[in-house]
Amino acid sequence: MAEAFVPLFVGFARALRSAGVATGPGDVLTFCRAAAVLDPADLSDVYWGGRVTLLGRHEDIPRYDEVFRRYFLGDGPPPDDLTLTAEAAADAVLALPETEGDGPEREAEAVLGLTASGVEAVRDKAFGACTPEELAAIRRMIARLRLTPPRRRTRRTRPARNGPIPDLRSTVRGTLRRYGEIDELRRRRRRVKPRPLVLVLDVSGSMADYSRHLLQFAYSARRAAARVEVFCFGTRLTRITDELGERDADFALAKAARTVVDWEGGTRIGDSLAEFVRRWGRRGLCRGAVVVICSDGLDRGDPEVLANALERLARLCHRLVWTNPHRLAGAVGMVVAAPHVDLVVPGHDLRSLEELAALLPRLG
Amino acid sequence: MTREYPDTVAGLTGQLRTAGYLADRGLATALLVATRLHRPILLEGEVGVGKTELAKTVAEVFGRDLVRLQCYEGIDTAQALYEWDYARQLLHIRALSAPDAGERAVADLFGPEFLVERPLLTAVRRGAQAVLLIDEIDRADDEFEAFLLELLADFQVTIPEIGTIRAPSPPLVVLTSNRTRELHDALKRRCLYHWLDYPSAEREVEIVLAREPELPEVLARKVVAAVHRLRELDLAKPPGVAETIDWARMLRFLGFDELDADTLGAVVKDRDDLDVVRANLAEITSGG
Repeated sequence: MAEAFVPLFVGFARALRSAGVATGPGDVLTFCRAAAVLDPADLSDVYWGGRVTLLGRHEDIPRYDEVFRRYFLGDGPPPDDLTLTAEAAADAVLALPETEGDGPEREAEAVLGLTASGVEAVRDKAFGACTPEELAAIRRMIARLRLTPPRRRTRRTRPARNGPIPDLRSTVRGTLRRYGEIDELRRRRRRVKPRPLVLVLDVSGSMADYSRHLLQFAYSARRAAARVEVFCFGTRLTRITDELGERDADFALAKAARTVVDWEGGTRIGDSLAEFVRRWGRRGLCRGAVVVICSDGLDRGDPEVLANALERLARLCHRLVWTNPHRLAGAVGMVVAAPHVDLVVPGHDLRSLEELAALLPRLG
Repeated sequence: MTREYPDTVAGLTGQLRTAGYLADRGLATALLVATRLHRPILLEGEVGVGKTELAKTVAEVFGRDLVRLQCYEGIDTAQALYEWDYARQLLHIRALSAPDAGERAVADLFGPEFLVERPLLTAVRRGAQAVLLIDEIDRADDEFEAFLLELLADFQVTIPEIGTIRAPSPPLVVLTSNRTRELHDALKRRCLYHWLDYPSAEREVEIVLAREPELPEVLARKVVAAVHRLRELDLAKPPGVAETIDWARMLRFLGFDELDADTLGAVVKDRDDLDVVRANLAEITSGG
């Protein structure tokens, strides 16, 4: 009986795939076999059968539900509409809103005396598109950036001439060759492994001139070291690790820029960091990690929220580094952050960010 | 006594219910497919929603042996699969000092009497008689995940000195993860995937009553309502179903028939959270 349903199921898997859920032919096969075990005419059996066989990520469940509803129940917008919306979203790279006028950010700009022309030039450009010079700079940086996060000892061991742990397996093997004569005790020692690096970037209005550098730095870091996680925030937090993983710099930055919706808006550092701790930190993303926050500390939210978030973050991660592009101390955020942060470093251009990278190995 | 796995979702749900485990439709479907297609099942979800409990219950209800492997960082084959008994091997070598002992004696060295079984090997050898629980796989590292692939795909393990050992019949394999990190796609591809959510209030009351039959239903409702409000608060560690059951058990043990602030320790296990909860205490414990 189930055979009759196979084309239907295969079509469903295809619909899922075009909605962006990664599901392979092997999964479809399992789905069809599962449906044969269950009742392929019962819609909730089909729903659950598909969900356990075709999905592998919790994040995909809403998308699965949507496609399922559309495919089997005929709900929701017709597929053509969907593609159109997706394309429209892709075109709207960055409709940069004006920086919100009031609040501490404006004051900061006054203090810094930013040159208007330079600011405009940057703002008119989509974040994703790089000039050839910038691309060259990024390439240079990736080549030069010896991004070696501090290392830690793991619980795994490797053979070593004079390690603290006896290696019985290898010792016994050695004695076999000598008819049971123990000649030496072989040893092992624990391996070391780089700590994960987590970058949390402020892309709000007051950081407008630096966001670009930060993004480039994040991209380079992501390319240079294996375990790097990147987040952006203005008023809300976005994870852009996957977007920055693209091989092509232009494409990666464009993709990341598209994902972040709150470029150059207001700043809510406290809330964003609190969300970071709640959604990612608590699950262990920054356990044992070096967390680098790039922000000017000009927060519009409640300082207490920021203090709480930082305190919790400091307890979760190994080292907390704050890099501040504005060279003015005394921003509320910085004062609040001071007791919880291990290190504050300048970060006003790519060079200073490289210095930061050079500093990392010493944070072990 | 071993019992066959049922072949309908309803049958499976009913059997699990006899042991006090209330599985929802999705979980029961996943489990049914796992037993029929012989695929490992990967359970993800918040802490304390009954991931580990499922494997225990299945083993109990269907009379299988629960073989549990708790993962931790740096776990390797010597702790998960097998280890040679080196001390005995050494003694054996010494005993064989006669030069004419020859090849056979050496071959004996890697015979079964020197092999120390660890959970994975045990599970493979027992086959369908076993329920293998690989608990908190997210705590192990990438290397260990990669090592599991052979086992999960073919229910076989390879020991260089002996060869490949195949399970006579595939065991039921349950993997759990708290999502402290993303698992490898290769591992996920070999598994059925199910996300366990917190149950609805109605269902959680049922669960509490199934676990603590002597608890008055009114109190169970109060406990569940309070826990649901706790989950809505922004806590660092929201209470799971396990905590709900603990709390109910604690209240019954102490003979309370109202929620009591002194028993919060059963559900709230973080100092900062405790502050938040104390500040909202009236609201949380209000009503049933």
